[in-house]
Amino acid sequence: MREDDFTLSDVRVLDLSEDVAGPFCSKLLAGLGAEVIKVERPGSGDVSRRAGPFPGVAPHPEQSALFLYMNTGKKGITLDIAGRTGAAILRCLVQECDILVESFPPGYLERWGLGYAALERLHPGLIYTSVTPFGQSGPYRDYKGSELIAQAIGALMQTIGLPDREPLRIGGNPALYTTGMSAFSATMIALYVRDVQGDGQHVDVSAMETIAVAQIHSSIHHQFGRAPARRESPLVRAKDGWVSPGLERGVRQDTWARVCELIGRPDLKDDPAFNTPEARREHQQDLLAILGTWTATRPKEEIYHIFQEFQSVAGYVATVEDLSASGQLAARQFFQAIDHPATGTAIYPGAPFRIQGDPWRHTRAPLLGEHNSEIYGGRLGFAAAELARLRALGII
Amino acid sequence: MTKLALEGLRIVDLTQIAAGPYATLLLGFMGAEIIKVESCARMDINRGQARPTPETYRMYPQGVPGERPWNRAAHHIHRNGNKLSVTLDLASARGKELFVKLTAICDALIENYRASVLDRLGIGYAALSGVNPRLVYVKISSQGATGPEKDYGSLGSTLEQSAGLASITGYDDGRPLMTNETYPDPVVGILTVGALMTALRRRRQTGKGAFVDLSQREATVALLGEAVVDYSRSGRVPAPIGNGHPLMVPHGVYPCQGDDSWVAVAVGSDDEWRGLCQAIGRPDLAEDARFAAAPVRRRNQAALDAILSAWTRARDHYQAMHILQGHGVPAGALLTGGEVIADPHLEARNFWDAVDHPEAGTYQQVTTPWRLSKHPRRASKPAPALGEHNSYVFGKLLGLSPPEIAALEAQGIVGTRPTGSGEP
Repeated sequence: MREDDFTLSDVRVLDLSEDVAGPFCSKLLAGLGAEVIKVERPGSGDVSRRAGPFPGVAPHPEQSALFLYMNTGKKGITLDIAGRTGAAILRCLVQECDILVESFPPGYLERWGLGYAALERLHPGLIYTSVTPFGQSGPYRDYKGSELIAQAIGALMQTIGLPDREPLRIGGNPALYTTGMSAFSATMIALYVRDVQGDGQHVDVSAMETIAVAQIHSSIHHQFGRAPARRESPLVRAKDGWVSPGLERGVRQDTWARVCELIGRPDLKDDPAFNTPEARREHQQDLLAILGTWTATRPKEEIYHIFQEFQSVAGYVATVEDLSASGQLAARQFFQAIDHPATGTAIYPGAPFRIQGDPWRHTRAPLLGEHNSEIYGGRLGFAAAELARLRALGII
Repeated sequence: MTKLALEGLRIVDLTQIAAGPYATLLLGFMGAEIIKVESCARMDINRGQARPTPETYRMYPQGVPGERPWNRAAHHIHRNGNKLSVTLDLASARGKELFVKLTAICDALIENYRASVLDRLGIGYAALSGVNPRLVYVKISSQGATGPEKDYGSLGSTLEQSAGLASITGYDDGRPLMTNETYPDPVVGILTVGALMTALRRRRQTGKGAFVDLSQREATVALLGEAVVDYSRSGRVPAPIGNGHPLMVPHGVYPCQGDDSWVAVAVGSDDEWRGLCQAIGRPDLAEDARFAAAPVRRRNQAALDAILSAWTRARDHYQAMHILQGHGVPAGALLTGGEVIADPHLEARNFWDAVDHPEAGTYQQVTTPWRLSKHPRRASKPAPALGEHNSYVFGKLLGLSPPEIAALEAQGIVGTRPTGSGEP
């Protein structure tokens, strides 16, 4: 039963995954209060420790922003699972856990007796979540993936960017994060079912399929007759950046008239080129040119607020700096300051959703092997000499 | 017969457009009973206009709106499969009363109206949880249920700007671009499933419902984690860098045979670089000092891109991907909408479901980004016609008699045709 205020206080997760997608899944579980034990390779640790960005010029394995963000709220141990002793220790740990998250190439863990079939026999209630570029089956299952590859093969990229240029990816790691969200949602379905029906199961999550789900227009338009194409974004320059007026969809009837008054062009109120959302969509470039003379002298966030007051769906291109200055995000205390011994205090995005009344765990990522003594000594009861021996062998 | 994962869960779906409907589509696949509530005066915007104008015909299969365009609009059928449809005028007292009764026999409600719309109608969380304290109420909104911008409206295309995603998307001229794919919508749809399941598990343990507050903006900012953390330590504000990558070289798309056809290549290690040299028949490049490690490859990127493009141009994008992957190089064809539907890997994994929709014809339905070994998803059911399940829901579930339902129809509280569509 629930031990304290966290939603998932009674859940324990063994996290063998690395990089972005798997760790983001277990980060969400940790945020909800599950005890997440992150298992890293002795010595080098998670690849995201080498990814950065780093605050200084030189990379440092405890200072990579990607690693620090992906692993908040987790405990960290090291273990070389590619060996008989390491695999045996992992099997001990598995028996203490409800969920295992992994991101190895399909078949890799089976070689060490750690595949789902073997662990299911050991622990039938285990939920075993595999997060990979292409999934556990099919002709591409052994192919390598990445953020870029997922956006490409999931049919997302082909329509992003400008018509006279090459296709463009979305910046950052959105496809891998979203794959982590898929893994989180699927794992929570499996956990719910286990609570009701008793059995765990193997959850197979693929980045390619996540993106194939996330692309909307490419496959719709292909099937229903309009070829989607790369196109200009409906953005217009503000004094300090870019805004979209948001007048093409989902606005109230009187919005356009109010905009015409605002920009000093009452003559356009009844202009059939602009007086319906469809017409504004049709004549988007002309519309942006007209609005542009007004927006160019005003700050983007101010324009966003003014147009939102008119019940439009206006937006402004917020940079990371703008996000940190957003009144809305501040009012909701979305950002969290988290201290870390190697980097000092940094600001992190907080809970991506909130269950009213339940807290979200905002604690820092573990140092490499930080919880070895607690988990191996305290939890598994290894004597100090045994720990020292495993350390000497490079197993932990 | 395997039991469906979420069999027995009943969910009221007051969502529209994309984020919410995605969530309930996925929950429907896993076996939940989804009751989509619209009104004849205000259908889901995805259903289009009651009487579409010719400019919008392209949003219907074969460009034809048909007799009941609202039942065959492309964006409606794309993400409303696996749901039941009822209509209910929530502005009327009787409509509200029936809605409250409906939520009383449901496990969860998901909605994505502007923050205070349902509170104003008197059917917000406070009112509904008074009647059904076990109700899990998931509120998806643009900005969250609180704060000065809580009533702001948005689309996925707005959110990718206000959440920062557009600021790091673009070519290397620094100009931001949008995704053309309203990316925050499907992302939030996928995340909502987990949020709901977490709250339902909590309900099993505590016996109590919950209010789940999901801000689309916050869920999207969460995708920029490393940039936010880095900004707070270094003051660096990231700008678009095209298809490049801070560490990997080569990293980008290369032109292939055919019109506008491309392959993506992402070389993350020296092993992968050597694999690439082998794959393109240039093992000599692996020894070439100009390309020995990622930093020098970056300095000599123009020469590298010319060599690689010359090789990719002579090949079809799938062929280039298979050859590169055969040498351990991360590569992926940039698939079009048609190609992702026909892709052999997704076919082998039964990713797409063929659907025969009574009013829209046949199409391939996108399914789930996950597979549960013991609880496969159910086969897609076509998106429902407006009000198709009024008699099942109001009659069978709420116990209204046929004359009572007929009276509701006569009063315009329920129906199967949108206001303004004219008589059949």
